[in-house]
Amino acid sequence: MPGIGNDVVALRAIDVDRTKKYRFYSKIIVDSEKLIYDEQLSSAISFEKFVWLAWSVKESAFKCLQRYRHDLVFSPSNTLISEVHLPEYAASTTTEGLGFDEARVYRTLLTYQGHQLYSRTMLSSDFIFTVVNDTNDFSNTWWKVKKIGSSDPEDQSLEVRHLLLYKLHELYPAAQFFIEKSLFGFPVLFRDGREADFPVSFSHHDHFVGCAFAC
Amino acid sequence: MTREEILDELKSVFAPYTTNKEMLANINDQTDLITDLKINSANLVDIIIDAEAKYNIEIDYDSADKMINVGSCVDVIAEKLKQK
Repeated sequence: MPGIGNDVVALRAIDVDRTKKYRFYSKIIVDSEKLIYDEQLSSAISFEKFVWLAWSVKESAFKCLQRYRHDLVFSPSNTLISEVHLPEYAASTTTEGLGFDEARVYRTLLTYQGHQLYSRTMLSSDFIFTVVNDTNDFSNTWWKVKKIGSSDPEDQSLEVRHLLLYKLHELYPAAQFFIEKSLFGFPVLFRDGREADFPVSFSHHDHFVGCAFAC
Repeated sequence: MTREEILDELKSVFAPYTTNKEMLANINDQTDLITDLKINSANLVDIIIDAEAKYNIEIDYDSADKMINVGSCVDVIAEKLKQK
């Protein structure tokens, strides 16, 4: 079964001044990643957005691997981004898709616990949305990010499940789906009473929710 | 400081980041920051920074990685206070 993880960061909810302080950002990015920013990215993206982009990539990587490595601990400092490729064009306003417009997303290569992973990140004026795969081919990855009316965790959880199930019913109208949370906290999808053969991933932050699966 | 005193004080560190006030009032070592207190993972670094400021300690990478439930937060803070 392939791995997948996603994360969303609501930009209005981040503390820009705090993010720029060494004491804060050094908990998320390491020296080699700061060097990548300084040498390759500083003219294209603000530092605070880079820090949160890195966070969303690392959090997504943890979710991608967690379902196979139940002992895994989320460790930003041990999740190392070694390559960041800038988009050629401004981010699309699309908030749902099968695969990504490769010219409009940030692409990274990263390693975590000996695993090589790949990411695609959309950076809009309102949010950062990332999907991480264990393959560099995202053409079979369905994803969606949405602004909702509440930031309450219960509402976020209900809304993101609804988004995913709605899409699955659209794609597979004859199948019955439901989602359970594993003992380790990640969502598990069931299709016609049996665990489905593709993983799903949820995320939420402030008024945004996101989800992804490989189909 | 005793573990009980640290645990009690930690409530004020967690408070800005959780809406689950009932759970916050009754936290124990097993309380998970994300699944029980419903703290968004994006705020975990805020909690580490706030704890550093409150106790005038520095929490290194490896220690920060352990701070996933209340008990491990108390352990890390108690250890750093002992090292001062």
